[in-house]
Amino acid sequence: MKTVYVVCATGIATSTMLRLKVEKFLEEQGIEARVLQYRVTEISPERTQADVILATTEIPPEFEKVATVINGISLITGIGQTETLQNLARALRENP
Amino acid sequence: MEGILSSIGEFLNGLGPLIALPVVIAILGIILGQKWDSAIRSGLMTAVAFVGIFLTVGLLGSTVSTIGQTFAQNTGTNLDVIDIGWPAASALAFATPVGNLIIPLGILLNVLLLLFGLTQTLDVDIWNFWHMAFVGALVQFVTGSFILGLFAALLTLVVALFLADWSAPLIQRHFKMPGVSIPHLQSAGYMLLALPFAWLFNKVAFLKNLKLNPDTIRKRLGLLGEPMVLGFIIGFLLGILGGQSLKDAILTAVNTAAVMLLIPRMVSILVEALTPVAEAASNFMTSRFKGREFYIGLDSAILAGNSTVIASGLLLVPLEILLALALSPLGNRTLPFIDLADGVFVAAMLAPLVAGDVILTTLLGVIVMGVGLIFTTLLAPGVTQLVNTSSLGLDIPTGYATYTVMSDAAIPTSYGLYYLFQTPAGVAVVVSLLLVVGLYFLKRRVKLENVLGGE
Repeated sequence: MKTVYVVCATGIATSTMLRLKVEKFLEEQGIEARVLQYRVTEISPERTQADVILATTEIPPEFEKVATVINGISLITGIGQTETLQNLARALRENP
Repeated sequence: MEGILSSIGEFLNGLGPLIALPVVIAILGIILGQKWDSAIRSGLMTAVAFVGIFLTVGLLGSTVSTIGQTFAQNTGTNLDVIDIGWPAASALAFATPVGNLIIPLGILLNVLLLLFGLTQTLDVDIWNFWHMAFVGALVQFVTGSFILGLFAALLTLVVALFLADWSAPLIQRHFKMPGVSIPHLQSAGYMLLALPFAWLFNKVAFLKNLKLNPDTIRKRLGLLGEPMVLGFIIGFLLGILGGQSLKDAILTAVNTAAVMLLIPRMVSILVEALTPVAEAASNFMTSRFKGREFYIGLDSAILAGNSTVIASGLLLVPLEILLALALSPLGNRTLPFIDLADGVFVAAMLAPLVAGDVILTTLLGVIVMGVGLIFTTLLAPGVTQLVNTSSLGLDIPTGYATYTVMSDAAIPTSYGLYYLFQTPAGVAVVVSLLLVVGLYFLKRRVKLENVLGGE
């Protein structure tokens, strides 16, 4: 099963909003994936199990080598939200 | 009017945070167009979150009390005021008379300010209204008046919105985040105090040449960025310095680690409960302001992943402890503790003032927290009262000193209003309103970038 990290600077506030939206979206789309919520300073490129990292804040560039990193700010502001969710779906469906 | 608001406040507070805020949240959700079952679920989840927070805050109480006075006695320092941290403070603030009403009244005020064109920020981050409730609770403590507390809380919201408007162009450009602004006092509040120093730093060429690579800091100090690990280290050090046996110090360390991990988890349930309401509010407002340009007001956490912000936030961990010790002859008694984990919030809106330079951002952080620490000590009676009277039931052993919240009590709006409202009420109201009007003209007339002297 694919794993999505939803990440923000506290692991509390905006990542919770991301998680709720992502879980709802994945369910609607029938995509099975684990959604885990983290604080940006808790995750490391060596330990990560994420296929996709969706973050409301900047993620260190090293992560781009180990996962697909998507900017999730649009899910908080509501502007450009559909496109972000489509990117997420594509990332989860494409890579084996 | 005053009488009605007062009695609503008292009635709600009499019900306690397990009933009052959940009911307010559910009703607000329905008014804003949330489906009724989802609104009731939000209300119930708010109550459940409070139950979880109370449980974990109890753990915090017993952990800090073991460190408290023994640390001050055994080390010969005066640091006997313990920092309970913002996650617990947020629940405390919502569990006060002002806290019960701040979300609906805050949304209403934001809508009115948008309608009259006084702000461009639509604050969808209603979760952070707790900062306003915190100020309100402090002012209610000082004045004994619920109405003045509510007034101060709403005034704080206006300040947050104005600061967000003012800093928006700089923030959007520096962090490459179009359309957002940050009405989040835990960062924006420090910005005002830092401005003159940022201006000075930008003038001095020599300071600009002290470059430090943020990624090196992040890699070296990365462990301090994980609250659980930081909690273990801090808990262990404080335990040992406080004269505990090795076994007890390890237990203190494990409990501190648990507090650092568990309270935020519980608080995230509260955020989860409020999210559908925030969404309903955001839809409600965006549909009514169609075609108008406005900024979406968000939590400064969205800025905190920036490498400079992380690096400065990490550097501030040891620096805040050193500051607390260095400032103890000047009256600081605050022992930095739980909020050590959140230096990123201090740094978030300081970084763009000095073009993202790590050393200068950290220096600004040291200045605002240095000034702030003294005030966290001075505000401790108010915070302790807040802990005692909110129905959270934090276990305070007899003879134990006092609590504070390092992050929020160090925000200029918190201590500014705390002291302003110690003057006669009429004076306090007039002066605070004049200051807000002044801030309005400042944001309208003066570009923040020009104040900084260009990059």
